Amino acid sequence: MTDAPARSVAPVLTLNNIRKKYRGREALKGISLQLYPGELLGFFGPNGAGKTTMIRCICGLLKPDSGKITMGFADDDPANPERLGLVPQNLAVYPDLTVQQNLEVFGRLEGVAGKYLKSRIAEVLEWAALQDRTRSLAKTLSGGMQRRLNIACSVLHHPSILLLDEPTVGVDPQSRERIYAMLEELADQGAAVLITTHQLEEVETRCDRIVVMDHGRIVADGTLSDLVQQTIGRSHRVILRFDRPYPTPIQWFVFDDDKTSATCSLESMKELPQVLAVLNQLGQQPSRIDVRSYGLQDVFLELTGRSLRE
Amino acid sequence: MILTILRILYLRLRNNPAELLLVFVMPIIFFSIFAGIFSNGIATGSDKKLRVGWISSHPTALALELRQFLDSNSLLECMSLEPEDNPEGIEETVMAGRITEAQRSGKYDLIVKLSAESADDRTSAKRPTFAGVRLVTDGQNPMAIAMVTAILRSFFAQKEASAAASGLIGTQSIQAPPGEFSDSGAVGYSTWTEAPEQPPGTSVSGKAAAPSDLYRANQGSDWIQTDPDGIHTINGISIVPKRWAIEPRTKSDSAVLDFEPVLPEKLVGNKSEDLDIVVENPQAASQKNPRIAMYAAGIAVLFLLFSATGNAAALLEEAESGTLDRILVSKASLFQIVAGKWLGILLLGCLQISVMFLWAEAIFSIQLFEHLDGFCVMTFSTAAATASFAMLLATICKSRTQLNALSVVIILSMSAVGGSMIPRFAMSDRMKDIGKWTFNAWALDGYQKVFWFQSPVSSLQSEVTVLLGSSLLLGLVTLFLSGRWKRGSF
Repeated sequence: MTDAPARSVAPVLTLNNIRKKYRGREALKGISLQLYPGELLGFFGPNGAGKTTMIRCICGLLKPDSGKITMGFADDDPANPERLGLVPQNLAVYPDLTVQQNLEVFGRLEGVAGKYLKSRIAEVLEWAALQDRTRSLAKTLSGGMQRRLNIACSVLHHPSILLLDEPTVGVDPQSRERIYAMLEELADQGAAVLITTHQLEEVETRCDRIVVMDHGRIVADGTLSDLVQQTIGRSHRVILRFDRPYPTPIQWFVFDDDKTSATCSLESMKELPQVLAVLNQLGQQPSRIDVRSYGLQDVFLELTGRSLRE
Repeated sequence: MILTILRILYLRLRNNPAELLLVFVMPIIFFSIFAGIFSNGIATGSDKKLRVGWISSHPTALALELRQFLDSNSLLECMSLEPEDNPEGIEETVMAGRITEAQRSGKYDLIVKLSAESADDRTSAKRPTFAGVRLVTDGQNPMAIAMVTAILRSFFAQKEASAAASGLIGTQSIQAPPGEFSDSGAVGYSTWTEAPEQPPGTSVSGKAAAPSDLYRANQGSDWIQTDPDGIHTINGISIVPKRWAIEPRTKSDSAVLDFEPVLPEKLVGNKSEDLDIVVENPQAASQKNPRIAMYAAGIAVLFLLFSATGNAAALLEEAESGTLDRILVSKASLFQIVAGKWLGILLLGCLQISVMFLWAEAIFSIQLFEHLDGFCVMTFSTAAATASFAMLLATICKSRTQLNALSVVIILSMSAVGGSMIPRFAMSDRMKDIGKWTFNAWALDGYQKVFWFQSPVSSLQSEVTVLLGSSLLLGLVTLFLSGRWKRGSF
């Protein structure tokens, strides 16, 4: 794990060495984390890594065995998180209520009432692009709309921290794009947004910071380039593929077991011409040459290994 | 392919214990419950005696004799409603009060009431007419009326026959040589002719003695005996009821020629069948359709349990979907969530029962508005207990499927035992006692008091205490166990 970069603002959420045993096993093994206002934090980890347990601890649904959770806002009691919003992984809305009715009841549960609730519902409907479906039953909405409603129900009270558990599961690219646009808008307004997801591409491209969690521990924390640098140490790679096994070693390249594929990691793209010069001297030309940047997938596999999880 | 489809069905059934429970265990449970009910009360009557309350305005010999006769009947369990010390008799108003109280207790199938009119006959010289015997019923058990009427008729018939036989023998003994009776073992004869207990104004000599007088005079003697079946014998010779008596073919061929005034035909006559047994149903006087009210209550409680459980299951759905997590993270506390759900189920339950009774009122005239206070008390208590029970079930179960299976088993069992399917009055005492472990029984008993016995609200104390008490207890257990929602252990 790496230290988060220094910030000029105080964190809105701080987890300090959180430990929690859950269902007989140690789900969290000393989690420390800071979340800042206006930050979009991607929380990434294999199944069973402890992400949901951590979110439940932050929400106050679970009490940590040890460690401390501090909220940056006035009420720092996690058991009474007035300015905390949770978007569960499943569609946590009432399917037999309309969009408007769902927003009303969840707004009231968050303490929003009266004219302010009406105005907030109008704002949120527009924000979630659901203003045309206010009278539709939630169960009749498309998957993407239901996801947006799911998020909309959690922001009526202007939460300072919004926790989202897999908010884009099963939605089409357009809806996913819209959801991230909504979240970025929230972050721009100053909310701290924490997203757990398995969607590598989303985390890579949309999140300000990435935290990788495995076996109840945070194993990496930083921007994508930080993580690549910290874990792999190189920025790009060149992959050669041959139609048949290549008989002799190639300088800087590492072959796979069947000798049909070889990979070379580059510290920077400046090294590429030297690699190409080597390739010009090969007796057998590769059938395909890929030049790729290292991404979160590589970081993730580097950090967590390739063995299957839960 | 068909086999594959069949295999899927089998595998799904095998992997789903709740469904297995419904398919195989449920019928067995129900069979056992109904077998228990029918083998212990309704069908065979093996341990179900008719519970007969007894009250007489005056402690007369006739009343005592009838009481003893009823006591000796194996079909009856006769219990006195009289005060322990009533040498001067009981006033009509006191009797009425005691009868009302007894009926409201629900312990009696029928009450036998002997009024002053019949009691006075004890001292009259005339032959007893036994008028004024009243059977007071609450209408629950029509069979009880028929049975007790038959038993009473049998008593009076035997009494008539005994009296006739006594008169016959008495006349004969006066005219025949004493040796004849001595030979036949009629050793008690002289005893009764000289009986010092002879009622004033009566005569035992010859034809002047009325049959009943003769019978009374011989009550203490050992030559008139009554066996356990109620058949009287004189010196071992049974006196058959009138309908089986053989009429003498001619006057001349019988030694009873001189007994003409007391011929069996005349003595036994048809009096027992003319017996004036009046059946009273105080409830029927002011209540049109109490039985329908009971059906309404039975069905309402059964469906109330189902609907309450269905509504409580929403909690499980919310837990499964994550909605409960969202609510728990909001400003609502766990207590508020549980209390809100409970209140919702309670109000819905009250509404459900009210709709049922309003319908019954509209169609069957159950006089709902005349018993509105009792109805409101019972409905609130029942709905409260049901709401707590449903919430507890939902808190115990881990999924909606599990809750569905469990609730079907428990609710149907409770309803069968508790009286929603079979009237409680028809159950054996043991089944009634078992039924007391169910909400249905307490609720139905309460509604019965309100609509059938027309008892005041104060009489519902025990039912309300049990229902509201269990509601409170189950509610507290639910609150305690609902902590698991916060711990995420579902």
